[in-house]
Amino acid sequence: MATLSLSAIGKSFGGADVIPGLDLDIAEGELVCLLGPSGSGKSTLLRMAGGFEMPDRGTVRIGGADVTRMPPEKRPTAMVFQSHALWSHMSVAGNIAFGLKLRRLPRAEIRSRVEAVLELVGLAGYGARKVWQLSGGQQQRVAIARALVLEPQILLLDEPFASLDQHLRERMREELRDIQQRLGITTLFVTHGQDEALALADRIVVLKDGRIEQADAPDVLYRAPATRFVAGFIGTMNFLACDIRRGRADHPLFAVPLALPDGPAELAIRPEALRLTPDAEGPVRVRRVTDYGSHVLADLETDDGERLKAHCPPEARPAPGQRMRLSARQLSAYQQGRRAEASPAHLREGALHA
Amino acid sequence: MSDAAIAVRPVRAAPRGGGLTGLLLVFLPVGLLAWLILYPILRAVIRTLVVQTGTGPALSLETYRFFFTDGYSLANLWLTLWVTALCAVLLLAVCLPIALYLRFAKSRIAALVQGLALFPMFVPSVILAYALIRTLGPNGAVDLVLNAAGLPKIASPYLTPAGPVIGLVWDNIPLTVLMLVAGLGNVSDNAVEAARDAGARPFALLRHIILPQIGNALLVVLSFTVLSIFSAFTLPYVLGPASPEMMGPFMQRTFTDVQDPRMAITQAVITFAICAGFGAFYVRSIARNREASR
Ligand SMILES: Nc1ncnc2c1ncn2[C@@H]1O[C@H](COP(=O)(O)OP(=O)(O)OP(=O)(O)O)[C@@H](O)[C@H]1O
Ligand SMILES: [Mg+2]
Repeated sequence: MATLSLSAIGKSFGGADVIPGLDLDIAEGELVCLLGPSGSGKSTLLRMAGGFEMPDRGTVRIGGADVTRMPPEKRPTAMVFQSHALWSHMSVAGNIAFGLKLRRLPRAEIRSRVEAVLELVGLAGYGARKVWQLSGGQQQRVAIARALVLEPQILLLDEPFASLDQHLRERMREELRDIQQRLGITTLFVTHGQDEALALADRIVVLKDGRIEQADAPDVLYRAPATRFVAGFIGTMNFLACDIRRGRADHPLFAVPLALPDGPAELAIRPEALRLTPDAEGPVRVRRVTDYGSHVLADLETDDGERLKAHCPPEARPAPGQRMRLSARQLSAYQQGRRAEASPAHLREGALHA
Repeated sequence: MSDAAIAVRPVRAAPRGGGLTGLLLVFLPVGLLAWLILYPILRAVIRTLVVQTGTGPALSLETYRFFFTDGYSLANLWLTLWVTALCAVLLLAVCLPIALYLRFAKSRIAALVQGLALFPMFVPSVILAYALIRTLGPNGAVDLVLNAAGLPKIASPYLTPAGPVIGLVWDNIPLTVLMLVAGLGNVSDNAVEAARDAGARPFALLRHIILPQIGNALLVVLSFTVLSIFSAFTLPYVLGPASPEMMGPFMQRTFTDVQDPRMAITQAVITFAICAGFGAFYVRSIARNREASR
């Protein structure tokens, strides 16, 4: 297996910089998820790694070798397309065997490898079927099998599970993770599903306008988002605008000490870090309650009209209109779009009451 | 239970009314087809088979026997078949690269190429024929240029089988390109990219992915060119050789110059039979492909 490294890579379409210039190094056997809003350049980045799009600037290296000008048919990469892109005039086995036939492997070996990979993706015995006789999830697995059978050094996946239902998606991503770890394939994975990225990735790269906002392990990304954008993009976050004055936030709910320079700031609190206690004198009112099964999400409003979301356990379900007191287990602050380093020490342990 | 009983009545009634409306709708075209095409065909076939003798009408295969034993008639048929096959091959050879270029090229020149490829569609065959004579004919533009450069004259294709071949290929380029581009539209970018990803060089890509996926379009192209070229008249008449000649001019000459209408009709029936045979083959392959892919 090999490393994949994109350095100072850039791409423009018709004069518009889709990716102005970006560095990304992926270690051997690592699974990196690309996450970002629509149009942020995820597919473009992936297609440059696969050779389908020629970068205007910078270099692509695989295992240290410069492959920037190498066409896809010569690269040791395999791509799984969002639309499956199976060849409808071939059988399932024909689709998988195509690349092996081009490599002129002996027929017996092709057959055994096709059978092995069909087994791997849980489609043993489906080889003779036509691809249009398969369900969407099965087609997706054929597409993955077709990529895996070539034993690529780099696996590129562009929203491979987009067309699957929730259950199938969860199963497929576990299977993919299994296979990827067993074979140790360096993988770059584009997804729109944050839960998918959080569950799968060794590292998540958040893109915005073709730039990397943050590249970190999932737990770091979720618990300590480096920028205001990442904090809002990954999961749900309550942002409370306030001013820092003489080392203190002036927000009415959370007037916490923060060792930050004076100026405008935003306090950021995850809904699950908030705790609600019924209190007729409390500063917030429950507007709406949504039951998600595993938890209940309460929509809160302050007297100033500021909105917050808070998780509560299903057994302590508040009623709409009820007044509440708030406390936060964890809170961070963002100044000028970036995470402010100085978070008050006592916050990490105890709770903070409003 | 009662719901089902209620539901059944309108369902049963519907096909009767719908069937009648449907019949009425197709009556006009089917009637026209029968009157203008099927009836004349039937009459023509009968006219070639029935002769008036002293004792009344009698069945006779005499004209067919003549056609298939007459060296000149057979030579004309062979020439027509040969020109048709050659044109079909040349058309595919010329148009497939153009269509592939139009489908996959991302440059701006593609629009220009498309315009050029479609241009012959707007040129009537007669004008095309005379244009070809003026350029490739004896003392045509090409000859003048060669002469000015001190080079020998070309062997002009005018009045040889090459003449109609060049004209017919040129004349049929637009439709062929359009049909092939439409067929290539069904080959998705991702399917092509996936094949390249699997290691397919351009030739393997064409052979294993693109051509199999446009099989139906190729069949349509083939039948269109075969049917239109086999029965072509203007270009073979103006540009083609006098002997042997293609079936179109042959029929016309047999009818007006030789004044043997029965023989001319026989030639037409034979031409029609060959085209119909090809049509049947085409319909069957399309049906089979459709069945196989769904
Ligand atoms: N071939 C192309 N020609 C012109 N512009 C393009 C082309 N491909 C992509 N773009 C532009 O580049 C930008 C990034 O596109 P890209 O497909 O990489 O986004 P993405 O992050 O994958 O979005 P999505 O999540 O919707 O798939 C978009 O603004 C898009 O319009
Ligand atoms: Mg995309």
